[in-house]
Amino acid sequence: MSELTGWGTEVVIAVCPHCDWRYIVPAEKATLRCPHCFSADLEPVTEGVEQLPYLRPPELVTPFTATKTVADERIEKFADGIPFAPRDLNPEALRGRVQPLYLPMWLVDGDVAATWEAEIGFNYGVVSHQERYSDGSGWATQQVQETRIRWEPRVGQLERHYDNIVAPALEQHVAMEQALGVYALDNTQPYAAGTLERALVRLPDRAPQAAWTDAAPAFQATAGEECRQAASADHIRQFRWSPAYTGQQWTLLLLPLYATYYLDDEGQPRPVLINGQSGRVYGVRRASMQRAQHTALIIVAIATVLFLLSLAAGVAGLAVPPLLAAGGIGGVIALCVGLGAIIPIVRAWQFNRRPVEIL
Amino acid sequence: MTQPFPPPGFIPAASAIPGIVVYAPAPEEAEAQPEIVEFKCPQCQAMTAYSVADGGLRCTYCGYYEPPARTIVGKGAQEFEFTVETMAVASQAHGWGETRQELQCQNCNARATLPPGRLTHTCPFCGSNRVLQQDAPQDALRPRFLIPFTIEADACRPIAEKWLGSSWMTPKSLKQSTVAGFTGIYLPYWTFDTVTQADWKAEVGHQETRRHYNSATKSWESHTVTVWRWESGRIRKFFDDLLVAGTARLSHVLLNQLQNYDTHALVAYEPQYLAGFLAQAYDVPLEKAWEVGREAMRADTRDACRGQASTSQIRNFSMALDFSEESWRYVLVPIYMTVFQYEGQPYQVMINGQTGAIAGQRPVDWNKVWLAVGALVAPGALLSLLGLLAIVLGVVLPPALGAAAVLLVPGIILLIIGGIIAFTIVGKARRMSDV
Repeated sequence: MSELTGWGTEVVIAVCPHCDWRYIVPAEKATLRCPHCFSADLEPVTEGVEQLPYLRPPELVTPFTATKTVADERIEKFADGIPFAPRDLNPEALRGRVQPLYLPMWLVDGDVAATWEAEIGFNYGVVSHQERYSDGSGWATQQVQETRIRWEPRVGQLERHYDNIVAPALEQHVAMEQALGVYALDNTQPYAAGTLERALVRLPDRAPQAAWTDAAPAFQATAGEECRQAASADHIRQFRWSPAYTGQQWTLLLLPLYATYYLDDEGQPRPVLINGQSGRVYGVRRASMQRAQHTALIIVAIATVLFLLSLAAGVAGLAVPPLLAAGGIGGVIALCVGLGAIIPIVRAWQFNRRPVEIL
Repeated sequence: MTQPFPPPGFIPAASAIPGIVVYAPAPEEAEAQPEIVEFKCPQCQAMTAYSVADGGLRCTYCGYYEPPARTIVGKGAQEFEFTVETMAVASQAHGWGETRQELQCQNCNARATLPPGRLTHTCPFCGSNRVLQQDAPQDALRPRFLIPFTIEADACRPIAEKWLGSSWMTPKSLKQSTVAGFTGIYLPYWTFDTVTQADWKAEVGHQETRRHYNSATKSWESHTVTVWRWESGRIRKFFDDLLVAGTARLSHVLLNQLQNYDTHALVAYEPQYLAGFLAQAYDVPLEKAWEVGREAMRADTRDACRGQASTSQIRNFSMALDFSEESWRYVLVPIYMTVFQYEGQPYQVMINGQTGAIAGQRPVDWNKVWLAVGALVAPGALLSLLGLLAIVLGVVLPPALGAAAVLLVPGIILLIIGGIIAFTIVGKARRMSDV
């Protein structure tokens, strides 16, 4: 177990032996279940710590503005409306496993001097016509206005300071952002020791040098947008520049989320993630085919019993003719009930074909 | 070697954000020309004029020749969109046609008033030629291209003589030599390009022959019925350089006969082309001309739609038509004009300055026309009259009835044919003199 300093509390590095995610964990929580894959318990890292990309504490934290109550409501909604839901997919189970977690993200500040060139577009209106003709009423003309874009070349020079250019600190950053949405950066707070009292922190797997490959295009996009505004244009395209960067300042920011899971039919954990800022939920909602099949079997069994009773009534009908009609009716009912056994399976199958929902 | 910054042709532009400098392409040099361009021969100081034969400025005194900066742009000549701003300007500024301009001759100081629409003028006192340049408000819609004259003024007279002698209806006393003094003038025209796309539907009639058994006659009979079926279709037509006259002062009937201009010969506007010629500014504004153009295009598209139907029997026809990729140009086209007098009446003649096509008014010898009409109608009338007499005679002399039929039938046929031809001749004669 590696002990770290600078975090304001006693922390250790722990790794998930299943998914290889690494965390900073309060020493007393070092054996928690991995909040990413929920497939294994975390194991303290004792060797090779110095080879990890970045171990220093973060400068900024985005607080959990989606409270536990909000998270519980979202979980309730997530678990609701699933036909033949797996037994483990229930609000109680999900709530009981909620683990607060922080994901890292880089923010870069810096000065840029550059020459640039681009095509900028200005909207303009064009008058066109639509006409209708009929033998009875002749021509009817309607004037319409279309908006077109006039593109013009521009070149320029730029000397600007940019703050909070986002750069991923995780390889999975883009996928996580698509799942949980973009975090607002206007409510960040300085990191304090108490931050880790209830949450784990995912360690960055990309050092600033590696993250720069994503930060540079973000700088370019921001500068391009500013150049569009500078030229008072409506659009910009083919923005090219030759930048010189100075005074770069890298800041590690933590983004909050809640992680929980349920077990599917095969007993595999299915993670459910909740944005700790907006409350947006991401997770796979699946119906249990096992439960659907079980329900179908029960229906088939009922149909079989009805059929046997009808058969018996039919046989008895040879002696007591009125029972023959009852047997016939019973047979029809048994057939209908038997056919209805397909419904639970089809319903579950249809539900599982739906794309992943973001709630 | 590093590229200079900003690149050549770029000038500083306004920037809305401090720290960002913006350079924009320098606007094309305004084709600002002096108010009056004087074409004076550098050798003998005499006036030069555009020579159709040489395609440049030629001094008629010493033979000095100066080729113009001839830029044939043809159909590649820049076209303009119907922007909201353009339409607003077009609806306000009516080109040079609204105001009269005063020209002061720089040679003899005489003052001449140019009638509305005239851009150029040759001083009536000393023969000095000057080209008047439009002022700023009119710059928005000034001609950027023109089709130069390719027919020389001297060639107009033989063309006109041949044309006058081409009709038997003109009077013998009309001296062909009276048609002279052709004046070259550049007329304003609008050219329009667009794509029309129309979806149409209509009931189309199909003739079908049906047989039925007639119990009264106990035989099979056939009759033709029209069966109406709904049809629909789509037409996409591209209109390229549809010409619409920008002047309302000249007969559009005559102009339409001369409108076979080839826009492949369009050149960029240069004042030299106008030297020695008159030029007229438009008095039919863009919006009005575009209405005329659209009317022609939609009629053409409607005909194309109707032509797509499987038969020509059509009813309940309707269509929805969209215009797209509309563009326009304001150009000048060459024309020669003259007015000759005959028996105190003026007659206008125009010749296409590019192709030599001619159109105009010609005096008509109505005696000749009525003589021809009489000659055409007389045989039929005579035979019919004889036929009628034979019928009357047949009352007392029955065999004459056979002769009556022989006379009356061809008489009526000849009368109808003669009447149609006579009607056509009279109509043509009226059009010749009255345009």
